Amino acid sequence: MGKEECKTMLDALSKVTACYRHLVIAMGSTSDSQNLREELKKTRKKAQELAVANRTKLTSLLKDKTISKEDRAEYERLWVLFSSCMELLEVDMKRSLEIGQDFPLKVPTRHLIQTGMTGSTTAVAARAMSVQNMKYEADSNIDTADLRELQSEISQVSQMMEEMEMKVQVAPWAVEAKQEAGAELKSNLSVGNSSVGVISICEEEPKEEEGGRGSRDTGFASICAVVGFFVIVIVAVVLGYLVVNMS
Amino acid sequence: MTIRTARPNRVQEFRPRMHCLKKLEAFVVEMQDPKNGVKGSDQKLNVTTIPHVLAGNAIIAWIANKMKTTTEEANVFGTMLVAYGYIYPLENHRKLVMCNDASLYRFQAPYFWPSQKWVPQDSDYAIYLAKRNIRKKGMLEPYEEAHYNHLHEWLNHKWDFIVMQAAEQYKAGRDRMKPDRVVFDCQERAFWIVNRPPRRTHSALECVPERLLDPNVEEKISFDQHRRMHIFYQQAIMRSKVKSSVSIGALVKYITTYKNHDPFLAPCLPSNPWQTDNDSYWTLNMRRVEVPTKMRVERWSFSLFELLTDLRGRDDFKVFLKKEFSGENLAFWEAAEELKWGTASSMSAKAETIFKTFLAPGAPRWINIDGRTMGLTVKGLEHPHRYVLEAAQTHVFMLMKKDTFFRYLKSPTYKDIQKKAQNPEAHNFSPAQLEQNACNRSPGIDPIILWQQEEEEKAKAAAASAPVDVKAMMSKIDRKK
Repeated sequence: MGKEECKTMLDALSKVTACYRHLVIAMGSTSDSQNLREELKKTRKKAQELAVANRTKLTSLLKDKTISKEDRAEYERLWVLFSSCMELLEVDMKRSLEIGQDFPLKVPTRHLIQTGMTGSTTAVAARAMSVQNMKYEADSNIDTADLRELQSEISQVSQMMEEMEMKVQVAPWAVEAKQEAGAELKSNLSVGNSSVGVISICEEEPKEEEGGRGSRDTGFASICAVVGFFVIVIVAVVLGYLVVNMS
Repeated sequence: MTIRTARPNRVQEFRPRMHCLKKLEAFVVEMQDPKNGVKGSDQKLNVTTIPHVLAGNAIIAWIANKMKTTTEEANVFGTMLVAYGYIYPLENHRKLVMCNDASLYRFQAPYFWPSQKWVPQDSDYAIYLAKRNIRKKGMLEPYEEAHYNHLHEWLNHKWDFIVMQAAEQYKAGRDRMKPDRVVFDCQERAFWIVNRPPRRTHSALECVPERLLDPNVEEKISFDQHRRMHIFYQQAIMRSKVKSSVSIGALVKYITTYKNHDPFLAPCLPSNPWQTDNDSYWTLNMRRVEVPTKMRVERWSFSLFELLTDLRGRDDFKVFLKKEFSGENLAFWEAAEELKWGTASSMSAKAETIFKTFLAPGAPRWINIDGRTMGLTVKGLEHPHRYVLEAAQTHVFMLMKKDTFFRYLKSPTYKDIQKKAQNPEAHNFSPAQLEQNACNRSPGIDPIILWQQEEEEKAKAAAASAPVDVKAMMSKIDRKK
């Protein structure tokens, strides 16, 4: 049904917006790099595609006069979700333009801020693009060349939002949220054991447990180790049996 | 009909320009120089090591060296950097100061720097609080809880979006490596402490009122404005000026007299209500308090003007004058004040009564002013206006000041009230008690009740001071007999 499609598309857009924000925060700091700029560009393009798709779907649904009242209320709620997402995206795009202009990567006198972040943001970008690994193929002056494109994209997005408002009449203040306060606690986010420990203090001793579900890499490594152990045990048992048989 | 939602104009909200921001940004970038900048070290948190942590004394030494100033100035500058949010403290994260010791600091990401254009929005704050809620499993700090509930109420229509976005941002954050996650959380927390400060945290980013004019647009001054400016400056040159030695001398005298009475310069007893949320200072200094405070009584001795403007002092003065049987000067002065500040419709009636009571020859409360002033006033009273009694009032004020005021200060009435005046103990609240006080603020006395009390007092005073009707008195005595 239209609603399910809309919801999945909106979830995707929300995910991409969240990842884009993480990427923009990493700009200008020591984890900035050519790769990051390329990731930003790709995430942006994906976000725009999703936005256009969402918009066409939702506008067509809302223009339809034959839907029931509950359906209409539901679509209005989805519309408010969509427009808030777009507002966030627009602001982040404008900020990334500003920070990109302030921190060009190739100028040696413009140092990057030592914020303490040194890792790469590949995983975040991969999450946004819904791929396993990111492929980097851009040329080396992407930070300056991209800015012009970014400016045109920002104006596109602003235009789209203006059109949206003119065409669809939804009163955002009339929408009632389905979630109540504290709803995020009930969502099935297994709050990582590691994160809570380390981060909640920079003052007190962190009680950390092992990496947990932090990154896929350490999980994979531990599974490998366990499998290797069992293989060795089986080989030992087989050899022992053969030795016993032989004698 | 189309509904135009008020889209938050996030680009230009005409916030006042903070000229220091561009310069501060250049300064912070210079601090990053790998050769000449501040040297960072690593921070060890159990298993993870996070680079780029700086000691307070290193930063201050670098600033002092770079700007060629003293260590104290560099310390103040460093504190401003922390208060604006360019550098955040790792240890005592709520106290936004730079300490000249080994306490640890780190630079803030450019996304979280203060800017004129980008106002931290409430929806962003709501997303941050929701994320924090997830991480802390519902245990938010009390001020955060208060904000959370407030935002849930008024951002309710966006609440689904906020929850969804918070969950997504949380999940995306977990894709980064562990040290980066720690740093990111510290950064975000520092950003929101600067922009939504908890109680008793002083950040430099106060919420200033927004302007109607765009401060970034340079305005052109027209020919007519130039002409008017020219006339103004010419007139200013021709005005007679007071010598600065004279005016500064007067200022110094004023400051030495009043410096203990200014709550900015000296602590006021029992405690400043704006700081401790305890309003005993106001209740002790009310209009009709029985026993005034010592500071108030001391203030009455500064000048007659102070004595008369403080209504409690005026009451005391009246008591003294009653004993001396010379209350007509003060009564005339009060009546003239009433004429000045009263309604236009009552003016002619008031002028009549004043003339009959104070100025007519043989009046019951005749005041003793010189002939010229008397003549002018009586003539003016034929066509009364608000300031018709101005000359007479000034004359009477001078009489009181030169003669009665000093007698009052030496009188037993004043000495008595000086002895009786109370000196309240200074309050000494602990931070927990201050929080309590803040929650229990009372709205104070309704002004209508105060006004009613005033009216009753006035009626009583009028009845008491009405000229005694001798015949009625005699008839009463006769009846008693």
